[in-house]
Amino acid sequence: MNSGIGLIVWIIAYPFVSFFLGVLLGGYGRKLTARVQRRVGPTWIQPLFDVIKLMTKQTNISHGYMHDVAMMMLVGGTLMTMYFVPVPGFHYFSQFGDYIVVMYLLLVPPLGMALGVGQTANPNGSIGISRALQMLAGYEITLVMTFIGFAMKHGTTSMYELMKLQQAGGPATWGIFAEPLLGIAALFALQGMLNEKPFEVIIAPHEIATGPMTEMGGKYLGMMFIQHLIALPMELTIFMNLFLGGAQSWVEYVVKLFVLFTLVLVVNAVYGRFKTDGALRFFWKLPLPLAALGVVMIMANGM
Amino acid sequence: MSDKELTQRSAWETVLASLKKRSLWMLHYCTGCGAVELPPTMTSRFDMERFGIMPMVTPRQADILLITGYLSVKTLKRVILIYEQMQAPKYVVGFGSCTINGGMYWNSYATMKSLDRYLPVELYLAGCMPRPEAIISGFNSLIDRIDRGEANSWKDYYENYEFYRKNQEHTFGDIETHRSIADDAQYYGFVEVTK
Repeated sequence: MNSGIGLIVWIIAYPFVSFFLGVLLGGYGRKLTARVQRRVGPTWIQPLFDVIKLMTKQTNISHGYMHDVAMMMLVGGTLMTMYFVPVPGFHYFSQFGDYIVVMYLLLVPPLGMALGVGQTANPNGSIGISRALQMLAGYEITLVMTFIGFAMKHGTTSMYELMKLQQAGGPATWGIFAEPLLGIAALFALQGMLNEKPFEVIIAPHEIATGPMTEMGGKYLGMMFIQHLIALPMELTIFMNLFLGGAQSWVEYVVKLFVLFTLVLVVNAVYGRFKTDGALRFFWKLPLPLAALGVVMIMANGM
Repeated sequence: MSDKELTQRSAWETVLASLKKRSLWMLHYCTGCGAVELPPTMTSRFDMERFGIMPMVTPRQADILLITGYLSVKTLKRVILIYEQMQAPKYVVGFGSCTINGGMYWNSYATMKSLDRYLPVELYLAGCMPRPEAIISGFNSLIDRIDRGEANSWKDYYENYEFYRKNQEHTFGDIETHRSIADDAQYYGFVEVTK
């Protein structure tokens, strides 16, 4: 699937595959949370019903030009990032862009959201955006730190090559087992990146009325949901490629996705929410020093 | 109900309705004591989410406006502003006898007796106050109505805006709402364009 007709077919099909995976993961998330709370919960494809409902709303209020464009930026930026993350059988674009490109592109969706929400001029939305950017300073630095350690160890920044090295060496060389300090720090960062509790300060429905989504209704909210559902498997895949040895087949890929997401969800289900400063302080107090220590140990081993 | 609403739906609309009924988000405007029945409806005892009904926090995102209890002159004004911020299709559900005829406040000088003079009500849940079973049963009948394509009360607000506006002005004097409903109705094609 990395040349010729197969590549073109895959480029067109990949967003839909990713969206479908996102729907399954999102539905699974809501079902699992419901079961933890001893409820029956919605169906497994509830996010699909939500998206269909939102996209077929008959009135949609636009707050201006930037509000419309921002939605394109949100979904477009996520799609672009998605192509650079290698999945089983598809790593064509990852030869042109390494992990640094992915980190860079990951910032486009929050930036698009910031522009769009800025135009809606809702104070809750602005607070949500400022919180989102604050949280970036928390988890992104941790994530970059873990990646620096990993790249120093193997001497490459390509996500595909890091994945291949781990696959060749077997589970013992998987990032999370070979470098547990980095792995644990990145797990915290993943929780923040997926915006799950205890780091769910951006949405915080009881506090700032879903933050960036406050003024979004109808198709605008639908686009945000689509972006979220595409980003969900992508962000899990980034972690998987760096720390769980990626995946060689789609069965392995889906199993690893669900196992990893279950881990994130059970933490989400039992914890409350940090305050914004608390979340940032936590990131800088525990995961970041852990990651820094991991990097120091790699440097010591290398000398 | 006019003849226009009873015309046959296309196959696409039928399929769409059966998908849309699976996801309803609710904004609950808790003015009165009835709000106390909602937490058990949402949480593990009665679990509303198994029907795809979820509480939402802002009017822009919501499909159902649930009004739980009596409306004073002051709160009714807020409810109208909230209703006009919602995106169609939108359903107003009156909860408890207060919204139907004033309930136990029927002889109060400050409460509104009948909600459907000010907003198009899709469904009333009778009782003082309705138990969670009644709420679930009411929402299920709303879901059935959406499935059959009969839940069109929100169109009435666009088509007969003069009626609602007259009642609103009778109560509040000249109130300022943020969107022109008449313009919206023409823009989205809910009424014939008058030139």
